[in-house]
Amino acid sequence: MKLPPRRWLLWGALLALVVSLLVVLVFLAAEYEQGRDQSALEADAASVVSDIRNGLLRNVQTLQSLHSVSPSPFAWEAPAAEVLALHRELVRLEWRDNAFKPRVARDSPYQVEPFGVLDREQALPDLRQACDNARRISGPAYSPSYFWPMSGGRGLELMELCLPLVRGGQPVGFLVATYSLPGLLAELPNPDLLRSRGLAFTEADGTRLALHSSVSSRRTLVASALLDLPGHTLMLRLESPRAVYALFPNVLTAVVGVLSLALLAVLGLLARDIGRRQQAEHELAQALAFRKAMEDSLVTGLRARDMDSRVTYVNPAFCQMVGFTAEQLIGTGLPAPWWPPELVDEYQQRQAVRLAGQSLPREGWESVFQRSDGTRVPVLIIEAPLIDARGEQTGYMSAIIDLTEQRRVEEINRASQDRLQATARLATMGEMASMLSHELNQPLAAMSSYATGSLNLLDDSQGPLPVAELRQAMQRIAEQAERAGRVIRSVADFVRRREQVREVVAPAALIEAVQPLMALQARKQGIRVVVDIEIACPQVLCDRTMIEQVLLNLARNGMQAMPEGDPSTRSGLRVLTLQVRALRPPADDALRKPWVEFGVTDHGQGLSEDVAQKLFTPFFTTKVEGMGLGLSLCRTVIEQHGGQLNFDAAKPRGTVFRFTLPSGTGERLSSAP
Amino acid sequence: MTPHPDARIYLVDDDAGVREALAWLLRTRRLLSVGFDSAEAFLAELQSWTREPDVPCCLLLDVRMPGLSGLALFEQLLALPWQAAMPVIFLSGHADVPTAVDAVKRGAFDFCEKPFSDNALVDRVEQALQRSAQELAQRSARRDMQQRMDSLTERERDVMRLVIEGLPNKLVADQLNISVRTVEVHRSRVFDKMGVKSAVELANALRSA
Repeated sequence: MKLPPRRWLLWGALLALVVSLLVVLVFLAAEYEQGRDQSALEADAASVVSDIRNGLLRNVQTLQSLHSVSPSPFAWEAPAAEVLALHRELVRLEWRDNAFKPRVARDSPYQVEPFGVLDREQALPDLRQACDNARRISGPAYSPSYFWPMSGGRGLELMELCLPLVRGGQPVGFLVATYSLPGLLAELPNPDLLRSRGLAFTEADGTRLALHSSVSSRRTLVASALLDLPGHTLMLRLESPRAVYALFPNVLTAVVGVLSLALLAVLGLLARDIGRRQQAEHELAQALAFRKAMEDSLVTGLRARDMDSRVTYVNPAFCQMVGFTAEQLIGTGLPAPWWPPELVDEYQQRQAVRLAGQSLPREGWESVFQRSDGTRVPVLIIEAPLIDARGEQTGYMSAIIDLTEQRRVEEINRASQDRLQATARLATMGEMASMLSHELNQPLAAMSSYATGSLNLLDDSQGPLPVAELRQAMQRIAEQAERAGRVIRSVADFVRRREQVREVVAPAALIEAVQPLMALQARKQGIRVVVDIEIACPQVLCDRTMIEQVLLNLARNGMQAMPEGDPSTRSGLRVLTLQVRALRPPADDALRKPWVEFGVTDHGQGLSEDVAQKLFTPFFTTKVEGMGLGLSLCRTVIEQHGGQLNFDAAKPRGTVFRFTLPSGTGERLSSAP
Repeated sequence: MTPHPDARIYLVDDDAGVREALAWLLRTRRLLSVGFDSAEAFLAELQSWTREPDVPCCLLLDVRMPGLSGLALFEQLLALPWQAAMPVIFLSGHADVPTAVDAVKRGAFDFCEKPFSDNALVDRVEQALQRSAQELAQRSARRDMQQRMDSLTERERDVMRLVIEGLPNKLVADQLNISVRTVEVHRSRVFDKMGVKSAVELANALRSA
């Protein structure tokens, strides 16, 4: 399957969007996790700070109580040692007088000679600053922290607490407690909070002052909190290794991930589905194009109608056949636009019968369509029920075959056959004259030659008369005269022979015999032929071939009197009627046989007086190609049968030709009428 | 005038009665005829001839015959080089008149409608024979002239052409690049061979041929 570039672009954009959405989702989920960790750490840092502060406060109280119980330097040392033993964060306790002279001091038992390397008095400026603060605020105050080197290259970050001692409203000196910052970190916070975390004091700029523990990981979360003490502020830094999350660190991310995967999968399925659909569409389009080409190439017209006989589909061949466009035809009902106006009633009935009857003849039926320009098209219709996918009939599909060409060939065939027949008949009647003249010419020419020759001999004065020659000539003349006589006799014989072939025929059979030839011309001229034979009409005695010829002649004349457009199709007068009825003999002559009258009625222009008078004259004709023998021969034939041929004006217009024939019951008519 | 005693009339008609009657009539006018009962039979006779006829002749031909019709036979005759030496008179029935008229337009001598006025027909036959005789004479004269022409040499023919054009001997000599004397010799020999005495006579003889 090949996609246009635009579609690839769309798909690419969609994929990029989905992927970036997923990345963002995963990132946000991770961020959220991290944020949660961070805030947990910060809460922990705050609680560590508060632990330390509480510890320091408790220590201040312990130290104050130490002084209230033991006011003398001697009694002070023992409880101080006890305090030092209990509080590992304290490095040294000192009692100094107002001039900062040490009165008594005690070191922590946990530190080995903390002031061995450097003299204690070196820390005096820090100490003094703290004590000045303490006196000013009349409460404990802390000094800034400072680094104190110790033996072995070690050192401690220390911070002094100065507690002013007051007795009776008078300052009596200071209690100085030296804190080790690492000690503070180790002792005061809740150890549960410090598990696998790094804790340190730092300067504001991040320089580490004291370290309790550190984390080895490089990716760490850091929370800082301020430990605000009177006189000094320390920065506490709590570090926690950043949790090394898997790709899906927890349920949320997992859900997002799974959803994303599902989304991708759905996307993939969708793409495949669209692909298949496009394939199917493509195939459908191919099939449609194939079908269309097939329908367009057909010369057979196709037409579908629904159950209400409305047209639902037509193919180009059908449109061409009836001369309407598909748009004009779709949706039209009955009467269909291609029905000839005068046949609408007939077609309506036929349609009703067909719909009621259910059975559709497989071989189809013939019909006539009228094109939009008014010309007629003979067609063969083959109809089949249209069954939909649910097996219900939704209408009818018809194949319509244009029979024009076929008809034309038929017509040419019939016409040539017709001509042949006519020629044959003329040989018996009309052309016989020509034959006769030739046959008689020969002996006459010979006789004339002999006669002239004889005269020549008689006129020739030289020598005696050639009697023998003259005798021979006379003999030849006699021979030729006899020959001419034979010709005349054969004609008489022929006429007699025809009279002998009379037979008893039903009038219907006579009409039936000429019906195909009549129908051919009628169809061509859009004329309807109506045959009306009286019930119980007797049979007639006649020369069948001759009478058929007469019938055909009269019918043809009648149809020629109705050229296309006169009378018009709309008038309903384009009808040729063949009527047969018995002429009952008058009551007083019951013995006579009845006669049968044939009538051929047209609705043409009728006959003018002039034409009517000359109608039966031989060689009179109104037709360009006519010989003018038809009607006179017809009359001769009818008169030979003892009947009469006459004509009359027809109602409302046109002419009716009537001829009579004797009825017959099987016995032969006397040979001469 | 009396026709040539050996003149031949060919009669083609399928009807024996008519044929015999005509032959007999012609005999009463001292004319000899030969009858054929079909066009095919006459064609067979023609094929047996080794050379063109040397006596006047004519053909009486019936238009309507079974087999090859008179008209079809006439078509074939028209292809012969000496057809004019044998004039054709058509005999026709009433119905064939237009056909016969058509044939006359195409070179037939005449047509007679049956039944014919017999002596008039014989008169036409005699005229046809006369025409035939003239034609034969012309053909033989032409043949004679041709033979004389053939006997001339190349140079003599050149001289003759220029002499007919009316050039005097001097100019003829100039054109052919020969002496006047030689021209005179050629000229007298041409007159000799062509059987004429002057240039004018020679020109006339050539024109008529």
